[in-house]
Amino acid sequence: MTLSVDKFRSHAEKIETEVGKVIVGQNEVVRHVLVSILAGGHVLLEGVPGLGKTMLIRTLGEALDLKFSRIQFTPDLMPADILGTEILSDQNGQREFRFRQGPLFANLVLADEINRATPKTQSALLEAMQETSVTVAQQTYHLDEPFFVMATQNPLEMEGTYPLPEAQLDRFFFKVNVNMPDVNEMIAIMDRTTGKESPSAGKVVSGKEIIQMRELARGVPMASHVKEFVARLVLATHPGDPNASPLTKKYVRYGVSPRGAQALSLGAKVTALLNGRFNVSFDDIKAIAPAALRHRMLLNFDGLAEGVKTDDVIGELISSVATPV
Amino acid sequence: MSTITDLAQPLHLWIRRLRMQRALTWSLRGLIVGLISALALGSLGLYQAKLLRDEFLLLVLSISLMAPIIFGLTSYFWRIQPLQAARRFDILFHLGERVSTALELERHPEHIPPEILSRQLDDAVTSARAVNPSRDFPFRLQRREGLVALLCIALISLVWLRGEAWFNASQQARAVQHAVEEQAAQIEEIVKQIEANETLTEEQKQALTQPLQEALQSLQNNPTLESSVSTLTSASEKMQALSDSQARQMSEALQQAGNQLANQEGSPLQSAGQQLAQGNNTNAASELANIDVSQLSASEQQQLADQLDALANSLQSSNPQLANQLNQAAQALQNGDIQAAQQALNQAAQSLAQTGQQIASSQIASQTASQLQQGAGQVMAAGGGQGQQQANQGGQGQGQGNQSGQGQGQGQGSSQSNAGNNGSGSGAGRGTGSSPGGGSEAGTDPIAQNNGPGDGGVSSYEQIYAPQLLGGEGGPQVNIPPSDQPGGDVIGQGPLTPGDPGSSTVPYNEVYSQYEQINNQAIENSDIPPSFIQIIKNYFDSLKP
Repeated sequence: MTLSVDKFRSHAEKIETEVGKVIVGQNEVVRHVLVSILAGGHVLLEGVPGLGKTMLIRTLGEALDLKFSRIQFTPDLMPADILGTEILSDQNGQREFRFRQGPLFANLVLADEINRATPKTQSALLEAMQETSVTVAQQTYHLDEPFFVMATQNPLEMEGTYPLPEAQLDRFFFKVNVNMPDVNEMIAIMDRTTGKESPSAGKVVSGKEIIQMRELARGVPMASHVKEFVARLVLATHPGDPNASPLTKKYVRYGVSPRGAQALSLGAKVTALLNGRFNVSFDDIKAIAPAALRHRMLLNFDGLAEGVKTDDVIGELISSVATPV
Repeated sequence: MSTITDLAQPLHLWIRRLRMQRALTWSLRGLIVGLISALALGSLGLYQAKLLRDEFLLLVLSISLMAPIIFGLTSYFWRIQPLQAARRFDILFHLGERVSTALELERHPEHIPPEILSRQLDDAVTSARAVNPSRDFPFRLQRREGLVALLCIALISLVWLRGEAWFNASQQARAVQHAVEEQAAQIEEIVKQIEANETLTEEQKQALTQPLQEALQSLQNNPTLESSVSTLTSASEKMQALSDSQARQMSEALQQAGNQLANQEGSPLQSAGQQLAQGNNTNAASELANIDVSQLSASEQQQLADQLDALANSLQSSNPQLANQLNQAAQALQNGDIQAAQQALNQAAQSLAQTGQQIASSQIASQTASQLQQGAGQVMAAGGGQGQQQANQGGQGQGQGNQSGQGQGQGQGSSQSNAGNNGSGSGAGRGTGSSPGGGSEAGTDPIAQNNGPGDGGVSSYEQIYAPQLLGGEGGPQVNIPPSDQPGGDVIGQGPLTPGDPGSSTVPYNEVYSQYEQINNQAIENSDIPPSFIQIIKNYFDSLKP
């Protein structure tokens, strides 16, 4: 049974409403996270401490009727700590190894401060994020659908952190930057969090409905010239491409992989539906391009030394790559 | 539930508006192209002196009007793909790619849920209907292109208003072209007339038409002012060379003799005389050959002998051969030798026929030479004053010594025994004529000594050499008769005693006035070809004291 378009919108609105009860402002962040969930992708939230990253994901976990687990990544966290491990159990006089599931066996996993764990532990997420399965002791365990990893990381405290490798980053559907709230939002945050009652979100959408919403979103049509624009945009992130912008040529070492195009395409479809449209437009692509591409581009030494942001490069590409007619 | 037809309707309207906008845009661009082309072609035409003012205007107007029309119509009817147009309208009207996606889904609806298909189409139709094309897609022209068009118009107007010199030059060139074409047509007509003339022999026709054909070819190949004048002048000289100077005398003598014979009623030579009087020498020869002497009575034979004798005497000076044959016939008749008389008469008839042909050929050559010379003058006149000097410098001049003189070379020379002058010549022509005058230097040296303006008075002018004043001023005037009159070879006749001591000099203003008077008389008498009148006038103006 497929979900109707109206139901899709209704569910999306409910999720945003519930999240909005707890999270003040950050509409774009919420929208991107929602898009990522409805597209079936994982999200990496980056921002300084105290901006509500963890709160946002936890609220989402409350709004969605899903199994939620939180993993606080630390340097001594081991892969088995998140994947699970085999333990020796005694049952009816027989002793055998039984697999004990780790916190990864949930629908919505919050990987808090993911860059604090060692690369070994970070890599333990690779298979789960890509294949939705876990292999322990040569035994593969499938994770329940839907499965989302919502990771956070702090861009400031670099000491004692392990930056995510490119392969890991590429598996995140979106990388969402969480910015400081404005004055009004700050006041609203104070009001909500320092009162007698703390707001909480109710469960409004089930995991099954999330899967149905994801399937519906995949059916949104995308015109051929819009696809061409996506392809051109992604290729233009490579410095050797003819359409590459000056910033790209100067500061980018390696451009976006085809996963970036997939993320753009799928994210734009969800965005179109969320925006009340039944087809993908150029604006949908442009709206999600920074979140979909920023973590998939590698800056060269000059770019890093001069403090160039990938968002600057993407912004220039969006304005320079011609929309096909 | 909407259908694709609901979407096609607004799309059709938009495409029509797009066509109009494109036609408008490209019409302006066509106007610019047309104006630039017109300016370039017009400038080229003016540079080559080929465009008159009206033609320039016509060229500019036609190209400037045709180009935008062609550009506009072409762009209006240029094929527009509906899908491409839809993509453009999606952007233009901020439709979020709804229309173009709907069109694509109409063709390839695979893998799209039916609900999304129908909702997408409904959404596209609703959005399309909300568009106001006149508000969202107004007709516009590029300001920069409009400024370029105005600049082109200003440049063309500048050429139109300030290009008087160019237009005049073009007009002159066109006049020359017409004059040359007229001359070519005239030469063709002359050639036809010569070829149709039964009087002339094939050799004579060939000789007469050859220079004309060459001239015609040259005029067609190189119809410029200088070349045309040179060609016509050269052809005139060749035709003049083909004319016989004595043919006129022979013709007059034959005509005179014919008049006398025609008045003698009952004479055997009356009919031949009538033909001679009318100038029909060939018919007269036939009449003469038809006389059967054996059929004449003795008195008639005697009368015929007397008439032949008289005719021979009258033609003795102009045509000795014919006169001799007529005389032989007369002698034979008087001796009673009928056979010899008949034979001599036949020979005389044959000779008369040849003379007739010679006269006809000469007359045609002379007339044609005159026509060609006039034609050269007309071409020069069409070219205005500018071309004359060039033509005179570049063309072949003509030197004449009396009537039989003839010369070739640069410049021009003349040697006419006019008004008692022994001759005058100017320019660098190399005359090869047989004129007794020969173009002496007497006319050139004195005149060239002082050709500047005077001091404003008439009292004192430089004394220049004057050969006609023997013994100095106050001496007897030397009158040199024309060479074609009896005694023409006498240079002068005066007292054998020496004149007053002193040089033969005369004030320059007197010499000038004499020459100017002679010139004016010559012009009035039409002795000077029209084409040279202006040149001679300029020459005298330059010598004016």
